[in-house]
Amino acid sequence: MELFTILQKNTYVDSLASLFTMSVLMDSAGIESAYAGMATASNRQTMEELGLADDTVRSAGENDFVVAVRADSREAFEAAMAKTKKDERTNSIGKTSFVTIDDAVRENPRANICSIAVPGEYACEVTKQALNKGLHCIVFSSNVPLEQEREMKELAREKGLLCMGPDCGVANINGVAFVLSSINNRGPFGICGASGCGIQHVAAFLHEAGSGVSQTIGTGGNDLKEQVGGISMMMGIDALENDPDTDYIIVISRKPADSVLQTLLVRISQCKKPVVACLMGVDRSLVEATGALWANDLDGCAQQALSLIGKEIAFDSDETLTQMARQAVEGMSPQQKYVRGIYCGGTYCDEVMQTMQPVIGGIHSNCPLSPELRLEDSRVSVGNTVVDSGEEEFTRGRPHPTLEPTMRLPLIAKEGEDPETAVILLDFILTPPEHIDPAGVTLPVLTKAMEAARARGGKIAVVCSVLGTDADLQNADAQRQKLRDAGVYVCRSNRQAGQLAAKIIQMKKERDGR
Amino acid sequence: MTNTDRIQELFNSELVVLNIGPRLFGDALGKQNVEVVQVDWRPLAGGDKQMQDLLADLGI
Repeated sequence: MELFTILQKNTYVDSLASLFTMSVLMDSAGIESAYAGMATASNRQTMEELGLADDTVRSAGENDFVVAVRADSREAFEAAMAKTKKDERTNSIGKTSFVTIDDAVRENPRANICSIAVPGEYACEVTKQALNKGLHCIVFSSNVPLEQEREMKELAREKGLLCMGPDCGVANINGVAFVLSSINNRGPFGICGASGCGIQHVAAFLHEAGSGVSQTIGTGGNDLKEQVGGISMMMGIDALENDPDTDYIIVISRKPADSVLQTLLVRISQCKKPVVACLMGVDRSLVEATGALWANDLDGCAQQALSLIGKEIAFDSDETLTQMARQAVEGMSPQQKYVRGIYCGGTYCDEVMQTMQPVIGGIHSNCPLSPELRLEDSRVSVGNTVVDSGEEEFTRGRPHPTLEPTMRLPLIAKEGEDPETAVILLDFILTPPEHIDPAGVTLPVLTKAMEAARARGGKIAVVCSVLGTDADLQNADAQRQKLRDAGVYVCRSNRQAGQLAAKIIQMKKERDGR
Repeated sequence: MTNTDRIQELFNSELVVLNIGPRLFGDALGKQNVEVVQVDWRPLAGGDKQMQDLLADLGI
């Protein structure tokens, strides 16, 4: 193995673009390890630790971009670099860019909102700068200490500005989808939620039913914790209540801290507009006492919301799912026993385990529902397993699987080779930035898994759901059709995918007399 | 209840977005025909904590 380095003096490449480059390099033949990034002190230190630093790296300055690759040969290195060039993304933003918020606002005084994705340790400082310039903020950065989150949100409240996040991946303001949001039709529902995936899920059903959202306000997952106090949630509800384009308000969150829950319930009870509340794990009676419509889960939340405008979602009935399961089980070999889920979305991973566990028992995971079910090695499945491939052990040095679904392909391929796999269970989440064809990029691996199972004298069932809308650049309907055409069971929702997968496993067990 | 005038003002305005960080997110907004201003943010002093503290002491 030989070390090759490239130095591009005075060239700025952002962290996500660096991750994409690194990902392509690491997936190339003959490459042992790779690093790409700005030559900041901390990145140079990381390269030293990885054994990827030479004099070129050590001499680089913080305004230089460096690539270091340990490869079999110069040919392998050059071939890998050529692939990164091919993968370079087109840029639809103007060439002009700024280095500071001050300069950007001075030159663009009409700026009214900002989307912030900087490392968590800097998020508070950057957000406060933006708030002090009068900008509403959507903060995607995660790993922000709770006391800093509170500081940012208190400043926002003082100024009457929205601070969505930190850790907010979904917000749809004035019909514009930010960060990882789907593109939605506009309509009478305002959503304020502490779960990005939850907001996107409900909004997609509203869109599909021909309705839509006025605004969706993501608060970030920590907003309803004691230390933060639900500041963004309360401001979001206030804003939606005062918004003439919002007729109904939907509130989504996991169980808030007790003190925050009390404040939230009082606020909901005083709301002048009808409210649907999906507060997972909170007693139904507490929610209904506020006058709000109660929803147990995300599907139920979408259903309750649509009932307000006299519409209904046609979920698959239990009979239909049983029929689908019966067909799926036909032709499976006795060896095939387990469901193997490889997920992009953390909330969905959790939801699908909650759905399946009562039917098929404990599910092993890197994010298990109880500690004894934690996988020893996230890459080695045990019995029924669902992994969240967005967790750190999979994303180190790579973009999140929602943006770069190819990173979960080796995991899917591995399950396809396992003769004990009966069901491969997946989620597909569409987002405007990337990936432009998650179904298309995954299908070859799925087809190969199905063929391999047939060659072994069995049959693998692939079950999934696709979160998105037909307004998304990828078009959710086209993605679903592509999967169905290849023989994949595409369910109405993630919960229904879990129901079907569990039925298949249960039916298979009964058939084999286990 | 908080005063939401500035939020209502945002809801009634055409968005002009400062994208601070990865261009991919700004590009996605651009594809939705939104006016985007890119800020190629980098940590002060290249992320060197000691240097940052020194600059902070100097009021920079």
